[in-house]
Amino acid sequence: MKSDKELIKDFQGGNEDAFNILVKRHLPDTYGFFIKFTSDTVEAEDLAQDVFIKMYKALKKFRFESEFKTYLFRANINMSNTYLRRNKWRNLLHLDQISEPAYLDTSQEDEWRRKELWNAISKLPSKQRKVVTMRIGQDMAFKEIALVMGISENAAKVSYHHAKSTLKDMVDS
Amino acid sequence: MNFEQQIKEMTNSNINSINENIFLEKLHSERKRRDLKTNRILNGLSAGILVLFLSWSSFSQLTDDPTVYASIDLQPLELMDLETESYVYELTDYLLETSDDMWETLAFLDEINFEIFDTKNNGGLE
Repeated sequence: MKSDKELIKDFQGGNEDAFNILVKRHLPDTYGFFIKFTSDTVEAEDLAQDVFIKMYKALKKFRFESEFKTYLFRANINMSNTYLRRNKWRNLLHLDQISEPAYLDTSQEDEWRRKELWNAISKLPSKQRKVVTMRIGQDMAFKEIALVMGISENAAKVSYHHAKSTLKDMVDS
Repeated sequence: MNFEQQIKEMTNSNINSINENIFLEKLHSERKRRDLKTNRILNGLSAGILVLFLSWSSFSQLTDDPTVYASIDLQPLELMDLETESYVYELTDYLLETSDDMWETLAFLDEINFEIFDTKNNGGLE
């Protein structure tokens, strides 16, 4: 089986199938990340599609300065931030103003809490938001998060700790 | 249960598998659609810029100053010296007085390309 690097080189050489193999290889992780993020299969598919369309253009100029997986993580995080920003006003208008219903069944309650959580995450400072998104959305280790963000492992842990406290306050209040 | 665990459980959705082939098909058709759209926008912009440039360059050549038109007249501007011009005036008076047909005099003036210098400089407005 060819490595990501070999596939990218093939793609840069004009082999379109190499890109398709790369997409198939990384689609489950990317799609899974966006599913967690949006709780919506259609939106998750759209976001994953946007990421891979950007990858199609970007990979032609890819200089192998980082691992493809790390590069893809960054793209996913950037896309999730764009999604959060795009939905900020929608969240403000719809989610913030909807009071918690008097009665919710378990699935409704989960959905409501999930939306409330992502709404809270969208209000975090950029750095903390990225760390939390990677940690929660992709179950990434702090070492990997540090690598993706270009910060130290400790800095990633500290950001996550701050974010967690802020989120706890937001969700509890 | 700690907060981190709670968060993870909250976001733990059931991930339905996605059909990779259908995804790829949609991906490439969307990519082509966007490329086409981008090309159309670029072509539209280029055409717009070209039209604007041509409009501007045409407009910049228009002017209200008639002397500009006189200066680019195809007919060369030939100046007569004052003495000759004065002679032509006298000759014209004479011809008008002696001739029965004033148009003959005008035809003669036209033949010698006589035009009052002031008139010529002002685009024939005076």
